[in-house]
Amino acid sequence: MEVKTFKSGAHIPHYKSYTEDKPITRLSSPKEVIIPLLQHMGAPCEPLVKVGDKVKIGQKIGESEELFSAPVHASVSGTVTAIEPRTVPTGDKDDCIVIEADDGPQEFEMKQVRDPETVTVEEYRECVREGGLVGMGGAALPTHVQTSPRQPVDTLLLNGAECEPFLTCDHRLMVEKAEELIKGAELKMKSIGASKTLIGIEVNKPDAIEAINKIIEGRDDMEVVPLAVKYPQGFKSHMIKAATGRDVPRGARSAELGCIVRNVGTTVAAYEATIYDKPLIERIITVSGPRVTKPGNYIIKIGTPLAHVLKECGVEELEGHKVVNGGPMTGLAQVDLNAPVVKNTTGVLVLPPEMIPEEGFTDCVRCGKCVERCPVYLYPNHISTFSEAYLLEEAEEWDIMDCIECGICAYSCVANRPIVQMIKKAKQKIQKKHKAKQ
Amino acid sequence: MTQPQLASTPAPHLKADMRISTAMRDVMIALLPISLMAIYFYRGYALLLIAVCLVTAAVTEVIFRKLLQKPISLNDGSALLTGLFVALLYSATTVWWTAAIATFIGIGIGKELMGGLGWNRFNPALFGYVTVFLLAPFLPFLNVDYTPWEVGVVSQATPLVMMHQGMEMPAWWELFVGFQGSGAMAELSPLSLLLGAAYLFYRKHIYWQTPLSILATVFVLTLLFGENPLMHLITGGLILGAFYMATDWVTSPITGKGKVIFGVSIGLLIVLFRLGLPPTEGVAFSILIMNAFVPLIEKLTKHPSFSEPKQASAL
Repeated sequence: MEVKTFKSGAHIPHYKSYTEDKPITRLSSPKEVIIPLLQHMGAPCEPLVKVGDKVKIGQKIGESEELFSAPVHASVSGTVTAIEPRTVPTGDKDDCIVIEADDGPQEFEMKQVRDPETVTVEEYRECVREGGLVGMGGAALPTHVQTSPRQPVDTLLLNGAECEPFLTCDHRLMVEKAEELIKGAELKMKSIGASKTLIGIEVNKPDAIEAINKIIEGRDDMEVVPLAVKYPQGFKSHMIKAATGRDVPRGARSAELGCIVRNVGTTVAAYEATIYDKPLIERIITVSGPRVTKPGNYIIKIGTPLAHVLKECGVEELEGHKVVNGGPMTGLAQVDLNAPVVKNTTGVLVLPPEMIPEEGFTDCVRCGKCVERCPVYLYPNHISTFSEAYLLEEAEEWDIMDCIECGICAYSCVANRPIVQMIKKAKQKIQKKHKAKQ
Repeated sequence: MTQPQLASTPAPHLKADMRISTAMRDVMIALLPISLMAIYFYRGYALLLIAVCLVTAAVTEVIFRKLLQKPISLNDGSALLTGLFVALLYSATTVWWTAAIATFIGIGIGKELMGGLGWNRFNPALFGYVTVFLLAPFLPFLNVDYTPWEVGVVSQATPLVMMHQGMEMPAWWELFVGFQGSGAMAELSPLSLLLGAAYLFYRKHIYWQTPLSILATVFVLTLLFGENPLMHLITGGLILGAFYMATDWVTSPITGKGKVIFGVSIGLLIVLFRLGLPPTEGVAFSILIMNAFVPLIEKLTKHPSFSEPKQASAL
């Protein structure tokens, strides 16, 4: 088995054993869901309902006319009790639709409405758009935007790397829903005109590789690409480089490189949206942490408050802990447990105090770990020092804008420097500066 | 659920265990075999010198950081390590205040006044040592003969001097394992230094490029000039310099290519000093000279970003 990868990166303890063998199960439906009107990159939705309205599970409740947007749907049946700013995973207060669930059944009815054999490309695209699909691996880019690439695309690249520690939701999905995944890939291939599907999976998920290989056996248009277990293997640029060998120059969109990268969860969700008319109202989320009593891979409704998730998973003591929405390398530390899980929530992690890195840092001592490991071959040492001193032009000269914010530099820093934070801040300033110039 | 106080520091939420203090501690551990060898050979003389340098290092760092109104950073261990390095650069019978002054200069001027750990252009221990070496001819009190008590210490020519003057050399294995007349404490047992270096490789604090390119350059050049290359490798400060001094994070290039250029240049200079100039302090001078060129080397060896468009192939 030839294992592919990219140069640099690092092995990070992966803490996946808490949940990698836990089958996908459904978490109880909460009494109240909080649906943010902006859960994607792009324009926020306008509410389609008002306070007091009765809504049904799967009903579209928010939409925008902008191209870069994705509608949002009710994840429970019940009554709209508020449309107001609420805490979202970023810690900000954004407009949300709050729905109080009624006592009826709260499971979406999976009734086949289209035949995967006969569904047209137009129908597929419409379903993906109407279903509110976004990149569920983290980027949350509206999926329909990339379902109609202008350039011809030869390869569909399914991203099942799941390189972030703790997370196993994609892993379990590939094991348990391999068939839907491959059917979803067929739909997607048809819609972009690709002739080949590559499925990139890190080799620490042999059961996922096996499950998929069983289904695609004998096909020459689909192939599993085993990838080295290395962070950040699952980042789009590095997935492309590893699986296809193609360079990913700055500013190039993946379609220009002849491939489209799609998270495995999104692929299955798009399939369900097309065949069952099931919008993106729930997703698989890994709930994990060394002291979580019932860690697992749960189907959780979008909008479920973190407090509900944690209570159901047997988390009681939280004082001084860190609750992360997403993976431990790039996820968001939560400040308010009333914040909901959203479309790109891959994990809810509870890190006990002894796992939380100390604060406080010193000057760079040039140990070189960050340079050695940076997957984009930058000099985080120089860039962070420039960013710290607001030397934005120097930071730009050292290619700060190429940074993919994977966090490996800060993870490795012997001086405990918050390198990614410094870079993020400087990047924002630089972007502002460029905008002002225009 | 009542709202608990949550930790909310930004991503990444995981961190590797390695810190500056861990690294400094590991280098101290790596220097344990050679320190023990020195104490074994020179007893009280070695102990006194090491103790004086450690105390001077700590006191100097505290004084300078207080004066510069910076937080005390003894915890990172870098000052103590510099102190130990300075001690080992001297022969055991050196008068203690000379080593103390070298430590003071190394840490006070070589490190703290240059901006503190991370900003120092020169290896602090070598900086202090060489400064004192250059001052010594003008300041006689730095060269006082100092033997307050008897410990059968034989004062004799160092192997490098013996080699330079064509004297008969001790057996190579004796020089390699432990030879009392070796001059600096760090020079008396290459084997002990290599044991420590192996630990540093294992802990990934140092990389092969710098030491290997120094040793290879010295080996090839001395061979070309008809010298005994093995003797050159195991005598003088070469092993200490190649594995411990030239690999100093702060004062050496970061990338592999840069480390090779740095190492080869140091090797060249060492041979130049050893064959063309008075044979002492060649390694120290060579490393300090190349320390100054690190920014240039880094500029020349800067690698392109992953996202840098590759040059279009010729059509």
